[in-house]
Amino acid sequence: MIELNNATKRYDSLAAVDGVSFSVKTGEYFALLGPNGAGKTTIVKMLLGFTRPTSGSLSLNGLPSTQAACRTAVGYLSENLHIPPYLSGWQYLQRCAELLDISRSDATDQCRRIVELIGMQGREYTKVNTYSKGMIQRFGLGAALIGNPKLLILDEPTAGLDPIGIREIRQLLESLKHQGMTIFLNSHLLSEVEKICDTAAIINRGKLLVKDKISAIVKDGEALEDVFVRLVKG
Amino acid sequence: MKTKKALPPIIRIAKYTLIDEVRQKSFIIMFVICAIFIFLVRGCYQGNYMVNGQFLDAATVVRAVSKVTFHVIGAGVMLITALLSMRVFRRDRDDGMQSCILSKPIDRWQYVTGKIIGLWALSVLFMFILHSIVFLITSINLQVVMPEYLMASMLCSLNLLFVVIAVLLLSLLMPDIVAFLCVMGIGVAGLAADGISALSQSQMAQAMIQQPGALPTSDWTWWKVIYYLWPKLSGAQQLASSLISSEAFHGFGPIYPLINVLLYCLILGTLLFRRFGKEDLV
Repeated sequence: MIELNNATKRYDSLAAVDGVSFSVKTGEYFALLGPNGAGKTTIVKMLLGFTRPTSGSLSLNGLPSTQAACRTAVGYLSENLHIPPYLSGWQYLQRCAELLDISRSDATDQCRRIVELIGMQGREYTKVNTYSKGMIQRFGLGAALIGNPKLLILDEPTAGLDPIGIREIRQLLESLKHQGMTIFLNSHLLSEVEKICDTAAIINRGKLLVKDKISAIVKDGEALEDVFVRLVKG
Repeated sequence: MKTKKALPPIIRIAKYTLIDEVRQKSFIIMFVICAIFIFLVRGCYQGNYMVNGQFLDAATVVRAVSKVTFHVIGAGVMLITALLSMRVFRRDRDDGMQSCILSKPIDRWQYVTGKIIGLWALSVLFMFILHSIVFLITSINLQVVMPEYLMASMLCSLNLLFVVIAVLLLSLLMPDIVAFLCVMGIGVAGLAADGISALSQSQMAQAMIQQPGALPTSDWTWWKVIYYLWPKLSGAQQLASSLISSEAFHGFGPIYPLINVLLYCLILGTLLFRRFGKEDLV
């Protein structure tokens, strides 16, 4: 479903991503881990075609990431999500549905279901500028779920959420597992990743350090956090 | 089939652009100020004007004042269009709409086309409403019906397309305010060059330039080439306004400004698509 083949992104002399290769299979819950500035978001941006790789290739759904068609049935939640402040959460969801060419009645049904799923009933018609960061994040996740995507790319989905919110998002992501959805998750919350994901990759300074099943990465008596610190600190 | 699939996102992006701009307080304020200005100008139509000791008839006064108003509206809307266009990409980026749209199966060219169409439609509508107010004032209050006034307004919309494309392109290459000033500078320089050109062709200026015993100069000096290649925004507006006074024109010359602006739209549009295609989205 996702394939990176020697993907490299350079900004002048700095290599933000340096020859990274891995693949994510359909139905897999995959976490991309790394410290700040490791190149996680750059990989996501290359996957979505927001930025072009300097060399190497990336593909989504079997198509090169430079083609718009590869983003069919892909939901995306960006890091530091912004929603136009003059829209309501409902209007934002409706716009996302319209952009996916979903009919008006279907869009209304889906939006209603998603508002319920993200636990924002009663607040969907108020303007976004009255929302907290956590509420914006929930609507962002809701927008990513519109159109029943087969692949969800989530860049720090729990950023700004309180512990209850984090737990709710985790439960939501776990429930999607039964629907056969593939998840590509960028996160700092290693404990959450350990609970949700099957496989993980750790990158540092643009280089891939490890990519395997979490059960294979984490040895007995260790936590994912210990492995992460050990690998990143060298 | 491909065109059928490409059109809906473009139209939706154009619709969102239009709606989002109209929602802005600054847009509403600008529109209200312009409408008030038009209503204030209506007093000029009813004055008694005397030229060479003779009073002008009402129809002549109406046409002359309408022509001045036409140019003021045209220039004013060009300025407002540049102001609206200069921040469109930045606002879309800051509001998260750019990443929201481009994370869907929508091509970058569809996004840019939607933006251009949305901004152009909004500015054409803006100008058309203001020109329509003048048309209604002259038709109802003064009983001088000028349908050519509205045709001239539509012709003038080509200038607005140039402004939209040029400002969008320049806003990708430089700070927004500099992009705005550059495009306004192009318009002002063109207007000044047209004025100088018209002056230099007057008999008095010709007599002053041709000194006795001076050698004849070539017809094609470098500044003439620049003058003819420069975006002819004021020329296109002048051509549009000639419809109001029903001036007859012959040959290719008078329509050259329109062709010039159209060519610039095509060239700058191509550059805009290429530049945005290579842009790293934040």
